[in-house]
Amino acid sequence: MAASETSNGTALRYAFGNVLSFFILLLIGVLAFSIRLFSVIKYESVIHEFDPYFNYRVTQYLTKNGIYDFWNWFDDRTWYPLGRVIGGTVYPGLTLTAGTLYWILNSLNIPLSVETVCVFTAPIFSAFASWATYLLTKEVKGAGAGLTAAVLLAMVPSYISRSVAGSYDNEAVAIFALIFTFFLYIKTLNTGSLFYATLNAIAYFYMVCSWGGYTFIINLIPMHVLLCIVTGRYSSRLYIAYAPLVVLGTLLASLVPVVGFNAVLTSEHFGSFLVFIIIHVVALVYYIKGILSPKMFKVAVTLVVSIGLVVCCAVIAVLVALVASSPTKGWSGRSLSLLDPTYASKYIPIIASVSEHQPPTWPSYFMDINVLAFLVPAGIIACFSPLSDASSFVVLYIVTSVYFSGVMVRLMLVFAPAACIMSGIALSASFDVFTRSIKFQLPGVKGNSQVDAGETSSEGVVAQNEVAKTDKNEEALKERPSKKNRKKEKEHVEKPSVKAQMKKRLLVLPFEASIIAILLLILLGAFYVVHSVWAAAEAYSAPSIVLTSYSHDGLHVFDDFREAYSWLSHNTEVDDKVASWWDYGYQTTAMANRTVIVDNNTWNNTHIATVGTAMSSPEKAAWEIFDSLDVKYVLVVFGGLVGYPSDDINKFLWMVRIGGGVFPHIKEPDYLRDGQYRIDSQATPTMLNCLMYKLSYYRFVETDGKAFDRVRRTEIGKKHFKLTHFEEVFTTHHWMVRIYKLKPQKNRIRGKAKKSRSKASSTTSTKRSETQRKNPWH
Amino acid sequence: MSPTHSLPLLLLISLLLISTSTSSSDSDRVSELQSLQSRSKSGIIHLDDHSVSRYLTSTKTPRPYYLLIFFDATQLHDKSELQLKTLHSEFSLLAQSFLTNNPNPSPSDPNLFFCDIEFKESQQSFALFGVNALPHIRLVAPHHSPKQSEQMDQGDFSRLAESMADFVQAKTKLNVGPIHRPPFLSTKQLAFIVLATLIWIPFAIKKIVKGETLLHDPKLWLSGSVFIYFFSVSGAMHNIIRKMPMFLADRNDPNKLIFFYQGSGMQLGAEGFAIGFLYTIVGLLLAFVTHLLVKVRNLNVQRFVMIVTLFVSFWAVKKVVYLDNWKTGYGIHGFWPSSWK
Repeated sequence: MAASETSNGTALRYAFGNVLSFFILLLIGVLAFSIRLFSVIKYESVIHEFDPYFNYRVTQYLTKNGIYDFWNWFDDRTWYPLGRVIGGTVYPGLTLTAGTLYWILNSLNIPLSVETVCVFTAPIFSAFASWATYLLTKEVKGAGAGLTAAVLLAMVPSYISRSVAGSYDNEAVAIFALIFTFFLYIKTLNTGSLFYATLNAIAYFYMVCSWGGYTFIINLIPMHVLLCIVTGRYSSRLYIAYAPLVVLGTLLASLVPVVGFNAVLTSEHFGSFLVFIIIHVVALVYYIKGILSPKMFKVAVTLVVSIGLVVCCAVIAVLVALVASSPTKGWSGRSLSLLDPTYASKYIPIIASVSEHQPPTWPSYFMDINVLAFLVPAGIIACFSPLSDASSFVVLYIVTSVYFSGVMVRLMLVFAPAACIMSGIALSASFDVFTRSIKFQLPGVKGNSQVDAGETSSEGVVAQNEVAKTDKNEEALKERPSKKNRKKEKEHVEKPSVKAQMKKRLLVLPFEASIIAILLLILLGAFYVVHSVWAAAEAYSAPSIVLTSYSHDGLHVFDDFREAYSWLSHNTEVDDKVASWWDYGYQTTAMANRTVIVDNNTWNNTHIATVGTAMSSPEKAAWEIFDSLDVKYVLVVFGGLVGYPSDDINKFLWMVRIGGGVFPHIKEPDYLRDGQYRIDSQATPTMLNCLMYKLSYYRFVETDGKAFDRVRRTEIGKKHFKLTHFEEVFTTHHWMVRIYKLKPQKNRIRGKAKKSRSKASSTTSTKRSETQRKNPWH
Repeated sequence: MSPTHSLPLLLLISLLLISTSTSSSDSDRVSELQSLQSRSKSGIIHLDDHSVSRYLTSTKTPRPYYLLIFFDATQLHDKSELQLKTLHSEFSLLAQSFLTNNPNPSPSDPNLFFCDIEFKESQQSFALFGVNALPHIRLVAPHHSPKQSEQMDQGDFSRLAESMADFVQAKTKLNVGPIHRPPFLSTKQLAFIVLATLIWIPFAIKKIVKGETLLHDPKLWLSGSVFIYFFSVSGAMHNIIRKMPMFLADRNDPNKLIFFYQGSGMQLGAEGFAIGFLYTIVGLLLAFVTHLLVKVRNLNVQRFVMIVTLFVSFWAVKKVVYLDNWKTGYGIHGFWPSSWK
């Protein structure tokens, strides 16, 4: 009777725990969503930065023209005169996701604009990501660790930085896809079910659609499989978890146009194929081992090993030859710079120039994962006691990602979920120990009254749950060949659990010290919350398209970018070409709807170098380059008046470097005085005569009479000069964006010009004649 | 004086003795330099005060050759921050590559010779060129006097031989061609390694099948992963890529050392390791308490160790928070309801 009562009690407790977890998860989702709304509250519902504008434009096109047009879209508004095939060169996951959201909402008669949907896609998916983290960590170390990890992920600053409302970029959905793929992999590994294996392949497909970082998955999972094989953990579940993923996953991945045959042709994927072969060999060995007697098996092994070695050598030789035949050894530059960290800085300036590709220093870790940095080692150790397939996977995940994050600061984003999972495990394990210590040594509770304790004190409930959880966990760690056996096992486990609890009672720490430890841990958690909220509110919410600054006389808003783009869209012809440095390409096409020469998709180095060369050439040469590209307007960003540091003058050395990489007559030393970059009176004549200097500082002396540059903190070198080939047409309120028009070519010989004019007028298009009518002086 | 230097020096002196008696026209000088170059193993001609006067100061401009001179000082070789040794080997790499890429220079082009001068034995020449800081590389063009000659900028040898080659190409209009670096492993070594691996593979497979390699020891994996974690969060990658020193000497007070650099974009080596240690120690202590200390039976030992652990952890976290605020200058604050103030 008593036994049935207790089992009833545990069932009730499980039910209660599940409902509680559900509500906690719901709250975590709300937390993850709402902590990312600071940007909307502080600024407005606006798309951020650069790349999101491109994604926004693509989404607009998708919702307007449908999926087939999107798939075949050739964009002639960018990379003039080359254009760009959008459908085949973007990762469509984000766009399709937002497009689907928009479509669902509209079919439910919720008329949100495309922009609103785009702005809120990232917060929604971060809620999903924290739920996925819960699932993943639950598979590894139980529900308690899962909930802790989910809470931590909901507000980890590193992830917030890429997923605040308005940050409409691939990473926003990709992190969810990444964690979810890992969860399904672990789930398959724990259950050995083909259903989850198939889901895993589909989740992987979604990840491939969303982000180039999918190569991390397709290398990490094979590494884990290999690790399991090498350490003698091969099982049929491992086979089911891996083989379908490679076959289905690769097939699905090659359906994505931007990946296509890369899924089988580039070195990033070769590792998975190699492991695919190895796991088959190992599976065969295990199979043969099962059907042969030990002696026969030995003979077979020697036979197979000798033949296998020969075959392996042949295959490896072919692979090496294949890889060696391509110039970069089949690796893309970004991946190579991960393996050899000094690679990019030596050979690819365009990758090295991006600030998110720099190696981080220790404060970046503190900024981006905060106190989690302290907890991760404890999590690693908790994963090793005991080591299971699932926990070895998370350990591998954290080790690889922490190394990569050390090479490139942008990969901190991949590291952050791993840090959350590990810290969740660590926190949950320590709370487990400390609450247990308190519970069993409470002054009022003596003897074998463990059930009473569970119902009287609130800490007791937690501890009971934790104990139940660890029981469940122990069960999960056992081999589970089939569902039937599992049920039986569960019944078995029920009985010894009382014994296990008795045993656990002995593993306690001193009462007072445990209380202090718990208080300190809570303090640590509180600090994390404060830091994360601060980071979300202050550090990561600026949309960078609208800038604000606080000074003694209140808040200043700098909305110059949108001012300039709307000027362009209202005052220039639809087909006019606008040249600027590549950073502003996406924004110009999205907001001004004008054709640009280069944009943030840096696929053509030569084209970018051409613009860089023009910016670093003297006026006449620059005019010729721009004229040959049909450019009508040149846009420069200038921060010298208001002290906006990321303006074109500060980026200028990269223009010189990238330009000089293709056109050797541009030499970096010509722009440097004794190795120093300066724009004051000590600057080199080449610097003072280049187009970027002139366009940035033209008429600058009229502002304060001294021409004092607030970013460089110096007076400029050449103050009074005239432009010969360009004319200023628009400068925004705070001078942050300046737009110049190329002057028309001067007539050289009167007679010839007349002739060509008359010839031209006979063949002019209607548009040309319109412009002539508008301007009678031409 | 290293033996590699002394041999060409002797040759040079003997050659000088012979050559002074003969007429010293430009073509003689060129052929002398060529023979000196061919005798030197590294392709670098060693100059001293005599030879400087013979090939530079006593000639009439324009000379039919360029001289690229590396100013060396043996007594400074052990100062690692000057990198004289690396630069010298890069310089000789440049010389060798130039020679292999241009085995038969066309007679119309001026010759280019790579030379080095040692400070102790040719102080006059250092004064002649006005060199008072090393590393220093100078290109003497045919029409230049020593003082007019062009100095290679710091930026020009930052990328080692490749950037030196760019400098030479830009100033002399001579084609240097690709730099031939000696392969990391010679073919013999490579063959040996391949052979060793082939022999080792069967044994390794046998061991793996039996399951008794080091790889089966979780402790190894554990310490490995914690170490990688420590290595990465300490920003060691940043130090390697940026070649940061462990510490700096204080400019105001040379006896004091700076271990912590203010400003978040940069960090020093020792600083990174110190913080990485603090990051790691807290987690390790926590794991120690929750996994090992619970098994200790003596209550007082437990109590004492826990107090120490908590104190150390608290101190470490506080220190990192303090240092982070100091380094980055961020003022992290909470957002409390305004009625609380």
